[in-house]
Amino acid sequence: MTATKKPQEKEQNFTKSSGKTYSLVEVVKAPTVMVDKGPDNTIFAFPIVAILELIIALGSTLFLVLFSLLKDAPLEEHANAIITTDPAKAPWYLMGLQEMLEHMHPTLAGIILPALSVLFLILIPYIDHSREGAGVWFTSKRGKRIVGWTALYTTIVMIGFVALDHTFPPRELLRDVLPNLVTQSIIPGSIMAFLVILPVLYLWRFKKGTTNAREVMLVLFTVLFFTAIVLTLTGFLFRGPGFELYMPWAMPNGYNPFDGL
Amino acid sequence: MKNLLQNLWEKVTNSRPWKSFFRHGWPDNPLDRSLIMTTNIFFHLHPVRVNKKSIRAAYSLGLGVITTVMFIILALTGILLMFYYVPSTELAYFDIVKLQTKVPFGQLLRNMHRWGAHLMVLSAVLHMVRVFYTGAYKPPREFNWVVGVILLILTIAGSFTGYLLPWDQLAFWAITVGTSVAAYEPLMGKTIKKILLGGPEVGQAALTRFYGLHVMVVPAILLLVISLHIWRVRKDGGLAANEVKDDDELEAENDSN
Ligand code: HEM
Repeated sequence: MTATKKPQEKEQNFTKSSGKTYSLVEVVKAPTVMVDKGPDNTIFAFPIVAILELIIALGSTLFLVLFSLLKDAPLEEHANAIITTDPAKAPWYLMGLQEMLEHMHPTLAGIILPALSVLFLILIPYIDHSREGAGVWFTSKRGKRIVGWTALYTTIVMIGFVALDHTFPPRELLRDVLPNLVTQSIIPGSIMAFLVILPVLYLWRFKKGTTNAREVMLVLFTVLFFTAIVLTLTGFLFRGPGFELYMPWAMPNGYNPFDGL
Repeated sequence: MKNLLQNLWEKVTNSRPWKSFFRHGWPDNPLDRSLIMTTNIFFHLHPVRVNKKSIRAAYSLGLGVITTVMFIILALTGILLMFYYVPSTELAYFDIVKLQTKVPFGQLLRNMHRWGAHLMVLSAVLHMVRVFYTGAYKPPREFNWVVGVILLILTIAGSFTGYLLPWDQLAFWAITVGTSVAAYEPLMGKTIKKILLGGPEVGQAALTRFYGLHVMVVPAILLLVISLHIWRVRKDGGLAANEVKDDDELEAENDSN
């Protein structure tokens, strides 16, 4: 076949005249009149977006300069490995972790739970992969309610967990009764797992069949976010000398949590 | 006189060097407004046209931009701080004292770098929270969400490594507490801690390593990954708000069904 064709003809994709005397036409379903649709909702990025970004940049820079004029960064005594500070705190964004160390075994608090949290964050878009509701705050009215109630639940339950565990610490009360693995890891780990799963179960039972992956994610992320807030604030604001719990305004030895920012 | 100036202006703007620098005219018309976006690397992070919905403040709260701005401020103030700081356990602390008391605007410089760092961690977290609650991680933006999680970890790493540098009691004990947690990882913990600190405890080796990570490694990776992240926003079709159909569009669709 190729032998009969001249090389020139082979390269010719569009012949001048195909010699066709017919064409195929069909009526298809499509949104009506596309004139003025779509592109109508867009504007040139220049200069509007550039100006908006400039405003945000100038605004946040101004805020930072003013704040820096009002409050100085802390500087304590020269580092000394022999004199420990009391309390010795990590930077605020790690105070949630340090607070958890007070309540459970370090491997659980410092390694396993943080690793699970990061893994959960990474997995969110792969568990909830429907495109529906993207770009809308809380997806729906129902979503907003779910987030609100979960936030309230988590705040109460986590404050309760910190307070109860502080008053009746199983690893001390049950020290001679049960092995360390049980008192330091299994008991607090199970309580945490229970507290996380409870609102998901509730969501499932409540109006069966209406739940979707997005709603489960809304519950789990809200639990994670508000747990982080409660633990961070507890560690940062309410822990004083000896890493004991105090009211932030009634810290002994003139300790002020904000001095350590 | 006016003619002369005008002629000169035209000569300049029509010259080869000028045209090689500014490859388009003043962006007051559709063609030049497109060209400014496609021929300038910084503007090129943006699309030529954006959806009106995506620039609503109530949607994005501007948090991603604020995080980016904080990164730039930290880079600039950080470079200035490097001029006055030596990462030695003997000198570092006194360099900071000198910076605050002797260097003009030194205290302000240090304040801006420190508060800026806190603000960047905070705004990155809040940006993630906004992206989550607006469902903006959904396809096709899954990859950019994962890039974001990496950015959050990098941001915290940058802040944490910087925390040690003033070499005061606060720095020393915060890093001692922070790194002791790593040692509890059952498989590699002790090794990780040793690699991080360059020894059994926080000392000169740790300061050297934290300094290297803080001024070079973390910012370089951050710059790269932030660029990737913002470029992905455009490649994913702009912000997820674009995909929301407003009443007009819904009506048009319903009509046709
Ligand atoms: C150094 C930290 C970060 C920087 C500088 C940054 C920067 C930005 C910017 C400038 C945007 C454009 C929209 C906006 O301003 O909100 C954006 C969007 C986005 N970011 Fe980030 N980001 C960071 C961290 C994160 C994190 C931690 C996540 C999530 C885990 C994330 C996920 C996303 C996603 C999915 C979008 C698209 C949002 C949409 O379509 O509505 N980013 N980011």
